[in-house]
Amino acid sequence: MANLRKKKNPVEPMEGSETGSENIQVVGLSQGQIIRKRFFQHKPAVGGLIFMILFTIFVYSAAGIHLGTDQNKISIPGWWKYSHEDILPPGSCNTGCPSLDHPMGQLPNGRDYFSLVTRGSEISLMIMVVIGGLAGIIGTVMGSVSGFFGGMIDAVMMRFTDFIITVPVILIGAVIGYNLGNFGVLPLAVFLGLFSWTGLARLVRGEFLTLREREFVDAARVAGASNRRIIFKHILPNSVGVIIVSTTLLLSSSILIETGLSFLGFGVQPPDVSLGRLISDYQGEFIYAPWLFWWPGVIIVMIALSINFIGDGLRDAFDPRQSRRINRKDFLAKTSTRDAVNKRK
Amino acid sequence: MLAFIGRRISLALLILFGSTYLTYQLAAYSGDPLAAIRESTDPNKETIMRELTETLQLDVPPPARYFLWLQKALGLATGTPDFGNTVLLRLPVLDQIGAAIPMTIRLLTISTILAIVLGITFGVLSAIRQYSRLDYSLTFLSFLLFSLPIFWVAVLLKEYMAIQFNDFLAKPTIDLFSNLIIATILAVIITGFVSGTRKRVMITFGISFVSVFLIFFAAGATGWFRNPSLGIFGITLLGAACAVGFTHVFTGLANKKALGAGLTSVALGAIVYFPFGAIAGPGTNYALMVALAVLMLSSSYFVGYFFTKIDKGPVIRVSMLSAFFVSLFTVLEKLMQTWDTYYELSDGRPIQTMGSYNITLKSNDFWVINLDLLTHLILPTTALTLISFAGYLRYSRASVLEVLSMDYIRTARAKGMPEREVILRHALRNAMIPLTTLIAFDIAGLVGGAIITESVFGWRGMGSLANEAIVTQDLNLLMGTFSITAFLAVMATLAADLIYSTLDPRIRIRK
Repeated sequence: MANLRKKKNPVEPMEGSETGSENIQVVGLSQGQIIRKRFFQHKPAVGGLIFMILFTIFVYSAAGIHLGTDQNKISIPGWWKYSHEDILPPGSCNTGCPSLDHPMGQLPNGRDYFSLVTRGSEISLMIMVVIGGLAGIIGTVMGSVSGFFGGMIDAVMMRFTDFIITVPVILIGAVIGYNLGNFGVLPLAVFLGLFSWTGLARLVRGEFLTLREREFVDAARVAGASNRRIIFKHILPNSVGVIIVSTTLLLSSSILIETGLSFLGFGVQPPDVSLGRLISDYQGEFIYAPWLFWWPGVIIVMIALSINFIGDGLRDAFDPRQSRRINRKDFLAKTSTRDAVNKRK
Repeated sequence: MLAFIGRRISLALLILFGSTYLTYQLAAYSGDPLAAIRESTDPNKETIMRELTETLQLDVPPPARYFLWLQKALGLATGTPDFGNTVLLRLPVLDQIGAAIPMTIRLLTISTILAIVLGITFGVLSAIRQYSRLDYSLTFLSFLLFSLPIFWVAVLLKEYMAIQFNDFLAKPTIDLFSNLIIATILAVIITGFVSGTRKRVMITFGISFVSVFLIFFAAGATGWFRNPSLGIFGITLLGAACAVGFTHVFTGLANKKALGAGLTSVALGAIVYFPFGAIAGPGTNYALMVALAVLMLSSSYFVGYFFTKIDKGPVIRVSMLSAFFVSLFTVLEKLMQTWDTYYELSDGRPIQTMGSYNITLKSNDFWVINLDLLTHLILPTTALTLISFAGYLRYSRASVLEVLSMDYIRTARAKGMPEREVILRHALRNAMIPLTTLIAFDIAGLVGGAIITESVFGWRGMGSLANEAIVTQDLNLLMGTFSITAFLAVMATLAADLIYSTLDPRIRIRK
């Protein structure tokens, strides 16, 4: 949350110089520098960022990169000695317990669990980024157009958003992953992304509605700026904080949605693996081989937690007022994560 | 206003039309309802397929078939809505939904209420004590809960709250080591709510550690977990503690009238305890229970009403809340007395991991049946509460913080109003307005069901119906469940807008 940051930098040019009473020499910082500085003061967010970077590198280098379908596949092998498709002889203990050779244990059929988990994380991360990126772009475009132009365009676009909200995500997952046969992971991610932008669009619209009434927009218009210029040069930079923060939160909810769908059997289909699928497949082994259940679960929680912390750090960084005062925009940002909570049930 | 509502409803219907159409097409093109039969080795496969094609009108292409479905569903021809039959068992979809809705409501009601009450309480607490230890811990907790996949939590709960607890009940003694751990954890949690000097914190920790340790030691030694009971003494004590607590929160202990009203309600509850035991035997029913609850609450209302002449609101609130909790403890006591019977009936596995009730339960006892329902509810309710709790915690915290920075709060403080009054009368009322939106959506979601939770815990609610419909590619069932959920979602949006503008006159509906 916004308030994990304990101390405030006493000489931030945004607040310190405006008081004007003290004549402190302040070295000017650019907006980007200020944001970066504030972000790095937020310890949990920095921790989350470091975790995400290291984890992504680790997972992608271990499992290698595999793209495309079976017919034309691009594969770069990773450094881990087994692939998730190898059937191996059972190890020293017959429950497939973790050993030096298999750090996360083995499946009953001999597969190496470490390679499955890394491959699953890879796919889950990929889906997460695609959903988040796509939803971020569509949400921003829909929200800004509808908020800026208002009137009829706004009404139509918002009703369209309402319409998308009513289409159940589970159905999308089922149609793409389960019923139509296996298209692979990428189409699934794209389709989920096409239906997850609604919360962000509402939020950006709200932001644009307030910003377009502000004086600097009037000034720009009087100076003869085109709509395009006003949107891209004046309003969008001012709402970039809200967009980045809620896209981050969208990422953390999309990994939970993907794993939830895969858990139900609707998302990622075999032979592809994902973290949710692994939990779903081996929850029955909990008593005999608990590590099969713990590893993917802990990884999902770690990813979601890190991203939530990063989002919180970004919120602090982009809008310093919110660490003291939380305004309605911030509240709306939370209602968009609310949708995600409901989808997770 | 009426014009606005009318326009919104007609728009909502349009949206519903669009989304049902899209869903129908997606589902119809995605799967083949004949797939299962096509692969079977049934000798009269052809006939079955022909029959199914005819009943499901599969020869009509989906874009047109939707309108046939819509015509039937709206009951245009016959006057009664008909959502068709399910493919597998040929049962009317409406009957299936009718059976599933009460199930889902039962599953979600308690967890929704708990999440709202606990979430708002802790959120407010967290906001009032911003930047305190409690605030940081609750913030971290809410982040953690936000990041938990519910299916994962569900499996953990099944293992640790059900299977291992049931094993523990077979031999309900707590060894010294685990008792020390339990006492430490609970003492840390209790201490978290205390602020102040280091000395005060340490004293609180010490006292709570020792008392938790002793309580669990006594409970383990006397086999309390197998034969739990509060007794009239325990009920009165807990009730009195509630009365004191509510007085402290709502009026401050200096208000003797409120304290007196609360304690009188508790005494009333204690007096009712013995006749209650006699009336509410095994053959009792829900109507009697509801009547008793209404009687208890209304009498406590009058206790509060007659106890004071000025500022009756908070006094009545304290009195009614105390009465509510005493009644709750009394019912709990009754359930505890049935625990041993239920333990035997469930073969020593009282906490259930699957299903919504025990079909083979051999008992007509009202209390045993209800205990059975509760033991089935406990796991999914815990899981759902954990997930939704974090949401409410964060919104109410943000909302209270926003309100607390308003000018009218400063005015209230400046004119010398006690902090309790500032928060209860000025801050909370305004902070709760934005939450109505969330609550409206959650209540609409009560019927929609929780797909993952229902499938993990084997409940036959709306969520698992939708799940089943997709797996069996049953278009009628899917459209039936989906139309109802979508309808409720659209109505919730409208209701939220209307409630919001009623509660907050600053927000006007744009004509």
